[in-house]
Amino acid sequence: MTRALSAGGAPLRGAALLRGAAPLRGATPLREAVHAEWTKLRTVPSTGWLLLTAIVLTAGVGALTTTAEKCPASCGADPTKLSLTGILPGQAAIAVLAVLVMTSEYSSGMIRITLTAVPRRATAMAAKAIILSGVVLTAGTVAVLASVLAGRLILPGNGFSAAHGFAALSLGNGPTLRAAAGSVLYLGLIALFSLGLGTALRDSGASIAVILSLLYIVPLLSDLGVLAPAWKHRLQEYGPATAGLAIQATRNLPKLPIGPWPGLGVLAAWTAAALLAGGLLLRLRDV
Amino acid sequence: MSTGTMSPYQSGQRPGRDDFPHLLRAEWTKFRTVRGWVIAMVAAAVLTGLAVVALAGIGGGQQNPGAHPVAAIGPGGQAVTDHFYFVRQSLAGHGSITVRVTSLADNELPGQGLPAHYLPAQPWAKAGIIIKAGTKPGSAYAAVMVTPGHGVRMQYDFTHDAAGLAGPVSAASPRWLRLTRSGDTVTGYDSADGTHWAEIGTARLAGLPATAQAGLFAASPQYLQAVQQFANNNNAFYDTQATAAFDHVRLTGGQPGGAWRGGVIGFPTGPGGQRDISRCGPSGQDCRKIGSAPAARFSQAAGRFTLSDSGGDIAPYITDVDPLGLVLKGSLIGLIAVIALGAMFITAEYRRGLIRTTFSASPRRGRVLAAKAVVIGSATFVAGLVGAAIAVPIAERKLHAGGWVSSVFPVWSLTSGHGLQIVLGTAALLAVAAVLALCAGAVLRSSAGAITAGVVVLIVPLLLAVVLPQGPGDWLLRLTPAAAFGLQQGTPHYSQVMSFCQPYNGCFPLSPWYGFAVLCVWAAAGLALATYLLRRRDA
Repeated sequence: MTRALSAGGAPLRGAALLRGAAPLRGATPLREAVHAEWTKLRTVPSTGWLLLTAIVLTAGVGALTTTAEKCPASCGADPTKLSLTGILPGQAAIAVLAVLVMTSEYSSGMIRITLTAVPRRATAMAAKAIILSGVVLTAGTVAVLASVLAGRLILPGNGFSAAHGFAALSLGNGPTLRAAAGSVLYLGLIALFSLGLGTALRDSGASIAVILSLLYIVPLLSDLGVLAPAWKHRLQEYGPATAGLAIQATRNLPKLPIGPWPGLGVLAAWTAAALLAGGLLLRLRDV
Repeated sequence: MSTGTMSPYQSGQRPGRDDFPHLLRAEWTKFRTVRGWVIAMVAAAVLTGLAVVALAGIGGGQQNPGAHPVAAIGPGGQAVTDHFYFVRQSLAGHGSITVRVTSLADNELPGQGLPAHYLPAQPWAKAGIIIKAGTKPGSAYAAVMVTPGHGVRMQYDFTHDAAGLAGPVSAASPRWLRLTRSGDTVTGYDSADGTHWAEIGTARLAGLPATAQAGLFAASPQYLQAVQQFANNNNAFYDTQATAAFDHVRLTGGQPGGAWRGGVIGFPTGPGGQRDISRCGPSGQDCRKIGSAPAARFSQAAGRFTLSDSGGDIAPYITDVDPLGLVLKGSLIGLIAVIALGAMFITAEYRRGLIRTTFSASPRRGRVLAAKAVVIGSATFVAGLVGAAIAVPIAERKLHAGGWVSSVFPVWSLTSGHGLQIVLGTAALLAVAAVLALCAGAVLRSSAGAITAGVVVLIVPLLLAVVLPQGPGDWLLRLTPAAAFGLQQGTPHYSQVMSFCQPYNGCFPLSPWYGFAVLCVWAAAGLALATYLLRRRDA
């Protein structure tokens, strides 16, 4: 017997009436909710386009950057980070996808149907988070592998060769593997962060404006030559994108404002906060 | 029985009017009656102002007031570099000076440890003739000169520069130069053969005393080389030396029997003098000082004059960092709000189905889009103007108090040309960005998609330009609408001065209004595409 039927210690009357009619499940199991979300996500054409945009932007801008960067003599560039530059524009498409997973249901009214079918809001949100993570991590893996492959093929021709102390990019190299896998995780965390924020704000325009401010304007301001070093350091250490992208660095690690894994941890904290806020508001508010 | 003719039913109401003023009024009503939009527009102005002022407040701690050993203040009140080798005589009243330049060699000083492929020639080394109010650095002057990279130039009072004959100078292809003075007016001429003269320009030098100094000069600015990588500057400065040969020197109006005297004007900000530390980036700096420059030299024999100089220049003093332009990047926060508003001004109608009512009332869809563009553009312009006009003076004062000395980093009054450019430019930039976002909304019909598209073309290039190597970074800032942010530059750039122009320091490759034109072209293309799609698609 499920928990709903025995709530309050005694079987519910309505449930007792229904018992003979149809097998009733008090709460939709997560597995079925996930299946429903998968159906919703894959039957919307924008999903495919957004994921394709994310992959093309990431790999394309990464390849263009590696083509543009030359190393005539010794140089301090970080070839792994260079190859993964495309994450910067690519993450915008991921953020849009993640925000729409929740906010498009609010704009179309679909959310009422979703929450009628899956009344436990934590389950509904978890199902969305699971499907979104799976889709984004898959696309992110494709994008990152393509970027690293482009870097491996292009960089040696631009002077990033053994003669100048650079080995060809390889996932067999520990720091490069960490940077590549970390970039995929970064995209996943950005997606979940966007989902949490979209759930909290319920409006796609407002959510995407806030997310893009955090993803682009904070790094821009922290990069400006005018800032006092202490503030620059602070923005880079605590901004979700600046801290999270520390995972891509493979050289001069001690000089970074924040280490690779602690940096990703900062982003994870932002994500947890957004998911928690979104989840709580979803639970407390009417649809 | 006769049947009366029945006239078909006609509504007593007047037909709907969809002429343009009524369309504008309808769209304005839609905008002002959505409380969230009005709040967002006010918030955009307030956030822009607050962000700019806050950045100015925390951006002051980096440089102390003594960081800029400015040699001189020019006639316009701006900081100038005025250091060169001057061979002169007094010139009373009217007169002229004529010379022939037969060579100008410029190379970097030896002993700086440069690899062969770095050997630079300073294209703006200069040698020629000058009439100057006095020997005090910063005093008014007019000069005609030859340069290795930019032909013959006439320059006066530091900021003015005009081109004469093109091409480099050599013994086979000498250049004749002439300056004539009449009262406070100095006219410059050049000639390839000494008989056919062409006027290059005329300068009115306010306050030129009756007895001025006229003569030959040479100056050779440092060569700058910039490398930008992942927001790190790696800038190098190389001392160069220019040597020029003159003959056929003729001075009229000088004192009878006057002799040529040589000497250095001003003190150097380069080698052997005070180190110009503003040229060192905040990180990865390279204020290279290797070897010591030989003293400037002068020799005169049989009518042939030879002058050489190292490290001097007669030009506006340009800093690499543009603090005002950088703190104005705080307006990006307002820009995001403006992009969101512009996009939602039409996507909200699609979401609610209002667009069908709009197009029923006014079937000419291009005009509806035009009315929307006018309304959102004007509202944004006004909000941006108010925000910038309040924030810019406060930010300037804060920067000034924070150590960015006002002789080097000028405080622009809102009524001065450059102050107006910054404030009006910020407002215009936000307004056209809103129109571009509106077009993205009409094309994509989705708030999230349109806002993201707006951010990707307007803001992401600024970030990528800082992260990418400078070549492709500069191209991004030439081709994308982000070029328009050049309007916010607080430090004017002069093409006759070699300076580091890096996005990291707030410098843009295109001149400000050209950059704004790029944004306008994008907006015009957006309007055309949106109009085409609105007509072609169902609502």
